[in-house]
Amino acid sequence: MTRIKLISAWFGGVLFLAGAVGILESGAADVFLEVTRSDFQKISLGIAGIQNGGGPDWLGGRIEEVLKKDVKRSLVFDLVDLPSLGITTSNMGNGTGTGSKALFKQVAEKGVAVLVWGKAVMKEAQKDADVNMEGFVYDSGSDEVVGGKRYAGSPSVVRLMAHRFVDELVFRYTGEPGIARTKIAYVAQQGSARELFVMDYDGYDARQLTADGFLNLMPQWSPDRRFLVFTAYRDRNTQNIDMIELATGKRWTLISLGGLNITPSLSPDGNFLAFASSHEGNSELYRLDTRTKAIQRLTVNPSGDLSPSWSPNGRELVFVSDRGGGPQLFLMGSDGTNVRRLTFDGDYNAAPAWSPRGNWIAYVCRTHREYKLCVITPDGQKRMQLTTGPGVDDSPSWSPDGRHLVFSSTVDGKSHIYMIDADGKDIERLTFQGTHNSAPSWSPAS
Amino acid sequence: MNKIFCAWGVALVASVALIGMSGCAKKSVQSGGDSQSTQGMAKGGGDKSGVGSYPDTGVQPGGGLRGLDKNPSEERIGSGTMLAKVNPSGNADRQMDEIRAEQAASAEAGLRDVFFAYDSWAITEEGRQALSRDGEWIKSNPNALLKVEGHCDERGTSAYNLVLGEKRAKAVRNYLVELGVGANRLSVVSYGKERPSCTEHAESCYQQNRRGHLAVKVGK
Repeated sequence: MTRIKLISAWFGGVLFLAGAVGILESGAADVFLEVTRSDFQKISLGIAGIQNGGGPDWLGGRIEEVLKKDVKRSLVFDLVDLPSLGITTSNMGNGTGTGSKALFKQVAEKGVAVLVWGKAVMKEAQKDADVNMEGFVYDSGSDEVVGGKRYAGSPSVVRLMAHRFVDELVFRYTGEPGIARTKIAYVAQQGSARELFVMDYDGYDARQLTADGFLNLMPQWSPDRRFLVFTAYRDRNTQNIDMIELATGKRWTLISLGGLNITPSLSPDGNFLAFASSHEGNSELYRLDTRTKAIQRLTVNPSGDLSPSWSPNGRELVFVSDRGGGPQLFLMGSDGTNVRRLTFDGDYNAAPAWSPRGNWIAYVCRTHREYKLCVITPDGQKRMQLTTGPGVDDSPSWSPDGRHLVFSSTVDGKSHIYMIDADGKDIERLTFQGTHNSAPSWSPAS
Repeated sequence: MNKIFCAWGVALVASVALIGMSGCAKKSVQSGGDSQSTQGMAKGGGDKSGVGSYPDTGVQPGGGLRGLDKNPSEERIGSGTMLAKVNPSGNADRQMDEIRAEQAASAEAGLRDVFFAYDSWAITEEGRQALSRDGEWIKSNPNALLKVEGHCDERGTSAYNLVLGEKRAKAVRNYLVELGVGANRLSVVSYGKERPSCTEHAESCYQQNRRGHLAVKVGK
């Protein structure tokens, strides 16, 4: 163990030096590379239907539809269309019948790695009757039904059952919990006010959290998903950083220093809150130790510093500073030491978000007077632009699995919330209601 | 041979990095906290220090996934993250009333907005003229308290526009102070691009939103 530690320190030093050299060289090449690992083979998965075992006609179909979308968005599985492979499915029960055996053989021969099927029942006679769902999983590699799940709950949680089942699948095949049960906090226009909302990661089930009648901006999650921190203008004239508990709606002011108090961001362990405040003059970065309540100033210069985002190990921050004129991304230790500039392309780079996997930083880059999404590696060596075309893109926020970003864009006219794969593919619009939806923040996985 | 060695190296670095991350993260965080004293900060928080209470947000392990089971038992699904029902209260109405009163008072005073160039917080010649007239009114109404609002157009990020809006509001305040208005009568607030006066994606609208607005405070 000692030996491994020594070697790790040595390797760490080399990696660090390599990183530093890269930054000094600065001429960050405009290379376009795969964001996701190129050697990552998606696992082919077929869904052999969710049978309706009694209840409203929509039941099985709806669950199946949610399952399919979740499976696609997981980016872990490649959803195959079984009928197009000549595979027809029937009621399979728990997969022990002879019909199932024949189907498994077919599935394996066609190279489908995972087969999923299930059944849903709802007793219509009773109001608020329970929905029961069961799902099973056949793995062609081991040629066995590796297991299943049985869920029960009210009709209002039917989508959650499907989300939960897909998270189990992702967990089974990657050891990570999946993102199907994650949430997105955001800001929505209500009359002339902007209030906080939370919705499911696929845009369903939006709920309003605040009703101040003025401005609440830029929510960020606590690591345990129980709280949001955000900028609030409760009396219109002063800006504080507030905290709200989702389950109870209990809300209080966390930072009230005077001046601009914006862009709060909690460290991955929840022990520090980094934020920007102008209470000592211009906008500077500060760090609140949430245990001792001590506030440490991190930046000292006459320009605007804002938008801190934590590296996943909590040791570094990426932030925006206009100390060179226009806004650019900078890196520093989370104690304010070792400040160095990260972006050199273009004259406007802002709103950084450090990927939970650590390997990319997403941000808003200005090209041809349009504000688009870019990603850059923390060593500044690789950079790529994810979105193009008209419209203002803003507030990128990573999914906890690091495979997607959520952001706001005016590409369709009004500002709405969109999801995009981390390699810039597959943009999906999530909000369709309202006149202005912005500042999305993706929750941690549960 | 080389290849094998290399593969081992990569695996080692990767695994050690994983092990290191959890351990090291804690360490650096602690030393960071220790290195700065709590001088001048009320430890228990409270309003004086400008810091409110902070709950335990430590991540609870688990996550609720129980794994696939060959003979699965039934799991009861609740409504996921519990969300409190928001109390619509009279806040929105009260805010609207106050905003209307403010607007009426500002209109009656005949105060003019100051407009800015793209990405800029420099007061233009036209802006100086508007502010000299505003300044006269303020000086001749010594009891009036004013709020200087900084606004931006929709281009750029929400966050950076809040900083830009504050620079604009402060530029307006500083110019009024130069004209002899007492700084204690002028408060500053930035609304960034969050309270636009128009929403079209066109320069004609953008220039109306890049503004410093003087509001006469009402009540309080």
